[in-house]
Amino acid sequence: MKLFKKILIANRGEIAVRIIRACKELGIKTVAVYADIDKESLHVRFADESVCIGPANVTQSYLNIPAILSAAEITDSDAIHPGYGFLSENHHFAEACNTSGITFIGPTPENIRLGGDKTKARQIMKRKGVPVVAGSDGPVVNEEIALKVAKKIGFPIVLKASAGGGGHGMKIVKEEKDIEQAFYMTQREALTAFGNSEIYIEEYIPDLRHVEVQIVADSKGNTVYLGDRDCSIQRRHQKLIEESPAPISASEKFRKRIGELGVKAARAIKYRNVGTVEFIVDANGDIHFIEINTRIQVEHPVTEAVTGIDIVKEQIKLASGLPLAYKQNQIKPSGHAIECRINAEDPERFIPSPGKITFLSLPGGPGVRVDTAIYNGYVVPPHYDSLIAKLIVYGKDRTEAIMKMRRSLDEFIIDGLNTTIPFHKKVLNNPDFINGDFNTNFIEKMNGSRENV
Amino acid sequence: MELEDLRELIELLKDSDITELQVEKDGTKVKIKREKFLPSLEVPVHKSAAFHEKAAETEEEAQRLATITSPIVGTFYRASSPEANPFVELGSKVGRGQVLCIVEAMKLMNEIESDVDGIIVKILVENGQPVEYGEPLFLIDPA
Repeated sequence: MKLFKKILIANRGEIAVRIIRACKELGIKTVAVYADIDKESLHVRFADESVCIGPANVTQSYLNIPAILSAAEITDSDAIHPGYGFLSENHHFAEACNTSGITFIGPTPENIRLGGDKTKARQIMKRKGVPVVAGSDGPVVNEEIALKVAKKIGFPIVLKASAGGGGHGMKIVKEEKDIEQAFYMTQREALTAFGNSEIYIEEYIPDLRHVEVQIVADSKGNTVYLGDRDCSIQRRHQKLIEESPAPISASEKFRKRIGELGVKAARAIKYRNVGTVEFIVDANGDIHFIEINTRIQVEHPVTEAVTGIDIVKEQIKLASGLPLAYKQNQIKPSGHAIECRINAEDPERFIPSPGKITFLSLPGGPGVRVDTAIYNGYVVPPHYDSLIAKLIVYGKDRTEAIMKMRRSLDEFIIDGLNTTIPFHKKVLNNPDFINGDFNTNFIEKMNGSRENV
Repeated sequence: MELEDLRELIELLKDSDITELQVEKDGTKVKIKREKFLPSLEVPVHKSAAFHEKAAETEEEAQRLATITSPIVGTFYRASSPEANPFVELGSKVGRGQVLCIVEAMKLMNEIESDVDGIIVKILVENGQPVEYGEPLFLIDPA
């Protein structure tokens, strides 16, 4: 099995830089693609070659499949790494790569297709004995059936779009009288947002914790889990802070149980390469499957910190056909890692704040990692998402990690635009957070506001 | 040189960063070499800079001339096939909408048209050269 000679990175920003780093360490040549306004980007600068693929608009650039495949063709790339977001969960793109003789670094197109069909994924998990949240068995086609299912489960319930995910395309329905209207609206919104109006229903679980399991599988189906992560600190279903291990998995027993459920879920759909199985843990400590993310995730560094395994390198090695290099009993996560997502947004109202970085100073020192593509003088464009840096700390335990995160946030200076650094400082000094006593309502609670979830 | 001495030398090599060792003793010369594989650390060439030929020679030229750029990523061809004549040459008079070249992407031939009337004064890329989005292809002196 030989590693690839050249990989094209179909992404931008910090994850593109991350992938280029892994490639370079493996001795693999790199090709960056970029929208014309990203010409002065770090990922373009760090790559061995670069190809401009279109104007700023994502549809014509980072989502432009023909342009990206053409760029791979003219540079003789033998593989494409899609990163996260953009085309990473587009099974048509994965298929197109395979058809063109270019390896898509990630799971199979079928894994991706299934991962994107939340209703189907739920049904399969249920059948294979992975616990799921109580809900409809398959899609709910009209309001009458929705009402019937909802009454059986008991209100409140959540209407969810099959093609949604990551918190998008969800609506909580508290009472019977609201369901008809909510159903109609959710269908409409789903059709607009995802081109697919299919809906399923789940029981509404209050006070839940979002705990996910990192999965790695080789082409023969050998599957392991690399510990878990807690991503409950979310605002409008967007993760802001993640950590590994999850505070709730303080017991080895829980960690093993949720990890093994993750592996079970991955095996249920014959998952290949790197992915994440998302669970919710309710107030009783019961674990329920929610969805499977068929890509590398933003928060992968916290898992890398506690396991010592480079997950992007794993993706590349596995995609080139190499077998898994370790067994489950050789994976022994230790210590504690926390990640804060730094966004170019107002720290109180989270309004996007693009602009020029006039002064930049990154934190450092032992146990501190910054994944970013910003630099002094960089202009953060308004066209793409607002994540500008990930600050990851690693300590021997959660207390040390918290202390490190606090002092790193103090060292992190970004002038010229608003960032969410002050928000993170607030969380890292919050008693509930420090006690590990939080769920997905944390931010709402901290702000004391009734922000609409 | 005794076998024991050789063993010692090899151990010495193993535990250090030394890759080559040459020892001479009592008329016997021993050379031990160890290959250490590291991916080659080439200085990366920022290829995209090389892609862009100097489009216009002077400021006035840049103001006056129209640049036809590639709207897609692909391979530039001067003619519709290897046997055919190029669509245009230096000095060719072209009209708006006239096909100037082909950019091939994923086995599809895309005809690139001029958006001005004028005369071709510069052809900026070579036949068979890969081009990116926005790459300048022709300079046209508008009529």
